[in-house]
Amino acid sequence: MNFKVRQLINDSKFIIRYSILFLFLLISSCSNPYKNLSKTEYSADNIKQIPYALPFSEKTLIYKADISFYKNDISGLLIMKKIDNNIYRIALTTQFGLKIFDFELNHGTLNVKYCAEYLDKKVIINTFQNDFNLLLIQNQVKNIFIIENPERNQKIWQLESGKLNYNYIQNTDSEKIENISFKKRNSEKISVGLYNYQDNIPGNITLEHHNIKLKMNLKLIQ
Amino acid sequence: MKILTILITLIFLSGFIYAQESSFSEIMDIDKVKTELNKLSDNTSTIQSKFIQEKHLSFLTENIISKGEFYFKSPNQLRWEYSEPFEYIIVFNDKNIFIKDEDKISTFDTESNKMFSEISNMMIGTIQGDLFTDSERFDVKYFENASQYLLELDPKLPEMKSMLKTIKIYIDKSDISVAKIKMIESSDDYTSIDFTNRTLNQPIDNEKFNIHK
Repeated sequence: MNFKVRQLINDSKFIIRYSILFLFLLISSCSNPYKNLSKTEYSADNIKQIPYALPFSEKTLIYKADISFYKNDISGLLIMKKIDNNIYRIALTTQFGLKIFDFELNHGTLNVKYCAEYLDKKVIINTFQNDFNLLLIQNQVKNIFIIENPERNQKIWQLESGKLNYNYIQNTDSEKIENISFKKRNSEKISVGLYNYQDNIPGNITLEHHNIKLKMNLKLIQ
Repeated sequence: MKILTILITLIFLSGFIYAQESSFSEIMDIDKVKTELNKLSDNTSTIQSKFIQEKHLSFLTENIISKGEFYFKSPNQLRWEYSEPFEYIIVFNDKNIFIKDEDKISTFDTESNKMFSEISNMMIGTIQGDLFTDSERFDVKYFENASQYLLELDPKLPEMKSMLKTIKIYIDKSDISVAKIKMIESSDDYTSIDFTNRTLNQPIDNEKFNIHK
């Protein structure tokens, strides 16, 4: 066997070996991107340490809301008000003032005070419950992990409850939570982007579901 | 969109300033009032007015304020424009509807879109005063004081009843024009719209009823 052929075989072996390794890394990173990162466990009491002021603001928060839900486009004003610890009122009105919905979120349970007929379906209400629980960190969790990802300037606050996990991803430069991701068995179900913070409150929020056609765009007015 | 339909209808009652809820007494001679109210549509070719909209929600201590301006040209052109808290414009021009939501412009055709055709029909009906006498849709009670008429409309149809308990329309006697509309929901939350700086029968450029992409 001449040198060139041997070289070629060696090269291919090398390529195959590294391809496999790369593939393995790729698969493992797909299944859990945080697997090889430093991960520290804390008790669920530390939830308030998450640098995210939205659930704790005493102000009335008003967002211009554009919600697309399958073929429906709903636009109006989303009003969020903390009434007490873990109790919120969340209402959506049209530009013309009439209410589309008025919910009370009480310790993670969404109670309907009013809801327009076309949205008043159990599956839709549950969806809103998941969304607002995610935005306002109201999910009941067992553990909190802090995962450091210095390469991407991220500190991930992972709230875990069985197969579900809620990741509040902090940008270590801006110190703000810039993404939220809800995963079930490591498959992403809801992702949220938070931008243009004003006094620790996100000026823009985009929330998107990956398994249903629901998108929410919020822009802070007050 | 049903909500929007109804709201546009209500808002389309157009009109203007001041409203005191006190000391209104019920009117018994309804025919006379109806004749008076017909002047609202008969003598109006254009209306231009600013408005202030207040939304009251029981769980808030302060009302949410929106402001804007509207233009109407008989028989079927309307521009309803919010400038605060953000820019939002809806224009009805004969068979066309334009919505400008910040930079996004949407257009609809009432002929191909049944829903918007319904909105358009309701609007025209409203400006012609049909809403006041629409006994199929509303129970209407008439009140007055020295300066205003007050019409209380209680919706009869279930789908509207589930949204609104009462619509109060305050009409200035001086020129038979709407001064204020208050839409009260079943929860007692309400939206009130006050109309200010009104001008009647002044020319309005047709371009106001068009939005270009």
